[in-house]
Amino acid sequence: MKAKLLGLLAVILAVSMIVVGCAPAPTPQVVEKVVKETVVVEKPVEKTVVVEKQVVVTPTPGKPQPKGTLRFALSGEPNSLYIPATADKNADIAASQLYDPLVFQDDDGTIVPALAESWEVSKDGTEYIFHLRKGVTFHNGEPFTADDVIATWKYGMGEGSSWPDRYSIAKSVEKIDDYTVRVTTDGPKPLLLVTMHDFWSIIPNEYMEKVGLDGFQQHPIGTGPFMFVEWVKGDHITYQANPNYWREGQPRVEKVIFRFITESSTRVAALTADEIDLTKRLTAEEANQLLSVPGVKVIQYPVARIFYIAFNNLTTGKGLPTEDAKVRQAMNYAVDVDAILKSLFGGAGKRAAGFVASSELGYGVVKPFPYDPEKAKQLLAEAGYPNGFKIDMACPTGAYSHFEEVCQAVAGYLEKVGIKVNLEFMESAHYWDLEAKKELPPLFGDSWADESGEAYNRLKGALGGWDAPYSSWSDPKIDELLDAISKEVDQAKRKALYEELQVYMQENPPFIYLYEPYTFEAMRDRVMDYYPRASEMCYLNKVWLATPE
Amino acid sequence: MLRYFLIRLGQSLALMFGVLLLVFMMLRVTGDPAALMLPREASAAEIEAFRERMGFNRPIIVQFVDFLSKAVVGDFGESLHFRTPAMTLVTQRLPATVELAATGLLFAVLIGVPIGMMGGLKPGSAADSLARLLALMGQSIPNFWLAMLMILFFGVQLRWFPTFGRGAWNSVVMPAFVLGLPVMGQIVRLTRSTVLEIRSEDFVRTAYSKGLEPPVIYLKHILRNASIPIISVIGVQFGYMLGGSIYIETIFAWPGMGQLLQLAIGWRDFPLVQAIAIFTSTVVIALNLLTDLVYAIIDPRIRYGF
Repeated sequence: MKAKLLGLLAVILAVSMIVVGCAPAPTPQVVEKVVKETVVVEKPVEKTVVVEKQVVVTPTPGKPQPKGTLRFALSGEPNSLYIPATADKNADIAASQLYDPLVFQDDDGTIVPALAESWEVSKDGTEYIFHLRKGVTFHNGEPFTADDVIATWKYGMGEGSSWPDRYSIAKSVEKIDDYTVRVTTDGPKPLLLVTMHDFWSIIPNEYMEKVGLDGFQQHPIGTGPFMFVEWVKGDHITYQANPNYWREGQPRVEKVIFRFITESSTRVAALTADEIDLTKRLTAEEANQLLSVPGVKVIQYPVARIFYIAFNNLTTGKGLPTEDAKVRQAMNYAVDVDAILKSLFGGAGKRAAGFVASSELGYGVVKPFPYDPEKAKQLLAEAGYPNGFKIDMACPTGAYSHFEEVCQAVAGYLEKVGIKVNLEFMESAHYWDLEAKKELPPLFGDSWADESGEAYNRLKGALGGWDAPYSSWSDPKIDELLDAISKEVDQAKRKALYEELQVYMQENPPFIYLYEPYTFEAMRDRVMDYYPRASEMCYLNKVWLATPE
Repeated sequence: MLRYFLIRLGQSLALMFGVLLLVFMMLRVTGDPAALMLPREASAAEIEAFRERMGFNRPIIVQFVDFLSKAVVGDFGESLHFRTPAMTLVTQRLPATVELAATGLLFAVLIGVPIGMMGGLKPGSAADSLARLLALMGQSIPNFWLAMLMILFFGVQLRWFPTFGRGAWNSVVMPAFVLGLPVMGQIVRLTRSTVLEIRSEDFVRTAYSKGLEPPVIYLKHILRNASIPIISVIGVQFGYMLGGSIYIETIFAWPGMGQLLQLAIGWRDFPLVQAIAIFTSTVVIALNLLTDLVYAIIDPRIRYGF
């Protein structure tokens, strides 16, 4: 939902934007650029989410001193640097650099030790014993102990937290001794460690007690690679390297300055003029334009978000042809998603193969529906609708880039196989209001992001039936599989369950699957070892500058 | 004079009440803030609890009375997004907006008035054509387009000014120019037409005939009389400029109220939007009132009319 608000924001902004020219379609995944003369910098790309790796200068051997200032342009001002209160990705990115969680999710998705050196899980998966790292201090000198873990958990559920359920996922957090903590859950919670990585950023108990939540927001303190210096409201946030950081040799830049530039074309200008080093969330056109700017490199990757047209079998869709799985398959065959991506996004998107994004666990077992209108007509005929039928559809306006046009295109494709679509557009706030009340028409468009590296929250949210506010679909088989996933702690078995679910959801699609959007980011050539995640999150502890001023 | 003042004050207060009512109503008919502010996975019970906590579930009239009694003392509640008092956020952004508006206005007056006068004194001359061209451009060039062009040319190509933000002294130049341009256009037109009218008045002819130097006539007789409508335009425009420009502040990443408003709208931050809208309206109404009073002081015809 918070990402939706961002989208809304983006469109409000879009009014003031001028899109310059028609850009040629960028090659997916790899962004090649010829740097001066004919020196082609090779950017090998692994998997789908990996960003170009361009190592031009090898890091200096020995113990490197943090050097230089990284000027990072966010697309909006964070609302808070207190993790439980963060409302969007900008806040999340800025805040996360100040803290450490007990466990960290590495770039490749594996969970590795952070403030906890090791941990044991009980057989039934409901009890975790964490052995904490010794000798770690907060930015104010306070030593890190078990009390801080308990405080983090308690404050996270308390007042001022927007995400209490990310903390109450643990039933209790107890201190065994100063450096041992027991976390218990109500039944197995496979997402506990990932949730801890995302949200349980450890805060100092004593400091928090002394200054209170307001005081903490004024001057946040953690154990993280960077220390808070100042926040000039509306203008910038400044951090300084933590000289006592427990990860040897990190951080590698001395200062980080976050600037807030909502207008993406201004971010492009600022990057071109070398007033910032790094920025996210650019359009395909802007990324293309930046490819020709010397001293700037561009990366792109699909974000963990899926766009879809939802069916409804709970309220407005009851008794309609779309309750027949063949009809829903037909509608998936009928839409040429690649053509939509090509014409509206310059190819900057990836056709969704179901409801699991390409960076998530279990992806790859099913192929996207091919565009096959003949097959669609045949399936419709088999289902008893050789002449199609009429159906209502709704889409939000001002919520996502080009989504209005996407919906029109989908309606057009459906019309081609005989399904008459009565498409209605609604202002996004009103739209989501109706979506939550399950009062939208039997077909409606939307998108869903997930940041955990797994599709569970997205699946549960959109398919949870009456239990989930934004779901319009219920299927006992899906419920059963989701339930199994929610209890399975073993990674390999979870993967198998996700695969089984995807196969089922291919035969019984609850959506017309559309696409995963790409995001574009750009930076000055000197920025090294910057690896954003599919969630658009990034950690700056490894980033360094090749030629710090 | 006092009667005139009291009538205008009464009108202003009535207007203020209307603004409060309008702002209150408009925000409550566009969507459910509770569903929007909470994460998407939030359950119906959580949404209901939030509504309860924020008081969104009370009868609308009760919400309004509550809103009104707090608004009078500048309390618009806590911003939902930033979790700090909304009024504090507004006052934090005020200096940046005042700096921008004042610079923009100064620029508009310093360029607009002389050019308008030149045009008005010598209609049909080259100076007049230039004045009319400038006025037309100032009022018709879309400011976001001009802003982007200026950023690309003066910021990226020539590197004369920073492309964004409020930092070095010269960072205000581009946004202030873009903000002031339409006002300049208006001032040029107004000055030109007023001067054109006054230069053929009897008292000006008298001044010439008694042998006064032209510069003295221009400044002491013509400009002084032309200043009345110009002042009223400046007053009104300054009020609007103090509200902050959403476009300009957003494009230049200028940390003022316009940018804050754009954020607040995007996040459906009720208390913050209300605080900004009402603050801005108060400034506009107050400046209008002040302008009218200055007007009355300068021009006796107005104050004796009542």
